[in-house]
Amino acid sequence: MKKLLSAVLSMILITTLFVGCGSKTNKNAKELEINKDKVLRVWSFTDELKKPLEYFEKKYGIKTELTIIPTENYASKIQPVLESGVGAPDVFTAEIAWVKQWIDLPYWENLSEDPYNADEWEKDYVPYVFNLGKDSNGNVKALSWQATPGGFIYKRWIARKVWGNDDPAFVGEKLSSMENFFKAAEELKKAGYKIVPDEGAIRWFAKGSDPKPWVNEKNELQLTQAQIDFMDYQKKLRENEYTAMAPEWSPAWFASMQGPVPFNAGWDKLDKVKSDKKVEVFGYVMPTWGLHYVIKPNAKDTAGDWGLTSGPSPYFWGGTWIGVYSGSDNKGAAWEFVKMMTHDEEFLNWWYQETGDLLSYKPVTDKVKDTASDKFLKGQNHYQFFLKEAEKINPNIVTKYDQGIDNIWGNVVSEYVNGKKTKEQAINEFYKQVKNAYPEIITPLDKQ
Amino acid sequence: MNSRNKYGYLFISPFFIVFSIFGIYPIFLSLYMSFTDYKGIGSPFKANWVGLQQYLRLASDKYFLQAFVNTWKIWGVNIILQLSLALILAILFSDIRLKLKGLSLFRAIFYLPNLMTVSSVALLFLYILDWQHGALNGLLLKYGFISKPVNWLGEPITAQLSVSLIQTWLWFGHTFIIIFAGIQGISKDYFEAAMIDGANRWQTFFKVTLPLLKPIMIYVVITSLIGGLQLFEIPFLISQNGLGGPEGSLVTMVLYLYNQAFKYHNFGYASAVAYGLFLIILIFSMIVFKGMFKEEV
Repeated sequence: MKKLLSAVLSMILITTLFVGCGSKTNKNAKELEINKDKVLRVWSFTDELKKPLEYFEKKYGIKTELTIIPTENYASKIQPVLESGVGAPDVFTAEIAWVKQWIDLPYWENLSEDPYNADEWEKDYVPYVFNLGKDSNGNVKALSWQATPGGFIYKRWIARKVWGNDDPAFVGEKLSSMENFFKAAEELKKAGYKIVPDEGAIRWFAKGSDPKPWVNEKNELQLTQAQIDFMDYQKKLRENEYTAMAPEWSPAWFASMQGPVPFNAGWDKLDKVKSDKKVEVFGYVMPTWGLHYVIKPNAKDTAGDWGLTSGPSPYFWGGTWIGVYSGSDNKGAAWEFVKMMTHDEEFLNWWYQETGDLLSYKPVTDKVKDTASDKFLKGQNHYQFFLKEAEKINPNIVTKYDQGIDNIWGNVVSEYVNGKKTKEQAINEFYKQVKNAYPEIITPLDKQ
Repeated sequence: MNSRNKYGYLFISPFFIVFSIFGIYPIFLSLYMSFTDYKGIGSPFKANWVGLQQYLRLASDKYFLQAFVNTWKIWGVNIILQLSLALILAILFSDIRLKLKGLSLFRAIFYLPNLMTVSSVALLFLYILDWQHGALNGLLLKYGFISKPVNWLGEPITAQLSVSLIQTWLWFGHTFIIIFAGIQGISKDYFEAAMIDGANRWQTFFKVTLPLLKPIMIYVVITSLIGGLQLFEIPFLISQNGLGGPEGSLVTMVLYLYNQAFKYHNFGYASAVAYGLFLIILIFSMIVFKGMFKEEV
């Protein structure tokens, strides 16, 4: 028994030793070997890569295997695998929420080094997208094929009815500042429409108007005055009944894209309103992917009568980055796929035709931006609009804490909006919860 | 020891090997981690040793206390409903005077919710309880039970109550089967003797059935307590972003642990929470056990 155990243990030791050697020799080689018999394993959190992988299989004759893990569980599933290297993918993606966390960990291969030299491609990309793929030493670890700036996507027929004009430039002017935004909300309300589905929708504008990261380089939490002001803006939306009270991702929210939804005018004033009263939402604060993957499939009957314009300030939301796993033994094929996804004109052209998604690769966007038009948006050139918005984005406000702190902030603000807490209580609770989640962050409560 | 015994050990060894790897090792590893500030990156053995700091934090953590109270509220309502419902049904079906038909059919129907995956149950109830489009509000409004839609998952009390009721719906069939089996295990002689002595239904129930069911009831309460204090899936899934619903009212102890570990990467603290949870379950299981066996001791 003992002998067997020691034999097994020494086998494990020896194999790990070899694995260690293997990756080292691989790194030094200038040329990456592409083994066509090996299956390329890819992990992601959406099925977006399905078609690109089919394209890749046809083009390179390499078999691939895509593992999709739902967003909620992606980080907690993939991180242990990347840590241990057992059953790990060759290529994996990260959403904006995780990209900052993972970029400074040894998960992704350093693409600035030989034989990749991806840092030479910088000028080919929308600046903020390329910058977010760099670690704190400026090495490129991940790339992205898309840019995800946001806009305000609205129903043109409502604009025509209320203002007699549905032109994006005209509507953009109507929403150009928070002050104008509320004027427009009032005008829409008088005509029986709700400017946005719920209060949370305008949170993206709060970030854009005063772009500071949640946590600064001294690890201090920063709650800006602009953000505090937005608490009141959100409350104003609620109190003046400017929203349909359909929270993001709720059944009511999706339904509101297709047509009118039941409205209940706040919890306590319900008696005054007949429960069968319905209201219609004017527009949605959504980025590129929101247009293609959320609004389009949920508003089929009204396709062709939507418009796209900018809100009070520019913002971006989401985005997917992709890189080669540093422990992969199939880096040749992995790199080919990453390269195809992000730096292959032929493929990206095809991908654009297929999805209409906003690409980050300039050689392709430069070609299509003048002629692009989206039938869903009544032929409007969404490409030019989004590219212009993308140029305004400051990637330095992204921190690894964003997703967690955004959630906490959203929760305390809605408690304030619902009247459960005063402003001071809500802010205090925010500090406490951030401290509880991230003990290393210094909050104003620590300084007292 | 003869050589045959050696083979015996060999045959039982797979369990112990697997259990050591997947059971004992993680238990000791998390104990070790609870004394460090491990953040889930790299090896836990390279993390800083912080001594009892995580446990001191746990002792004064108001969010953990809130999670503790939430868990008890949700479990408490659930166990009372679940046990009474299961008991009533078990008594009805085992009553020798009533002789209800279709037992096996009903047993299957009662047990059915327990066979569904928890995620589908959560999704189902998200749609039923949705306050604008949900079936529940629709029905209640239609028949005039309420004059305005209730935001079931938007208020702390109704959200907790909803989770309790979902848990009851999921588990009463299981409890029913156990209690029913327990009643079947009681010799018919006692019931017949009680009948002959002129005892009515209530007397038979309180003086015969209930005392003899006690060991089964203790089993049900303790297993439900252990499960209930570890409540996680339904609150996690029903509060969509996993943050625990309105004002954190659905944050149970395990959801708190999960968020600390997998959302905020405080693995050291989460390990301390796990050991705190272990201690709490141990203490309360002992109290229930001692309390219910008091008379015999």
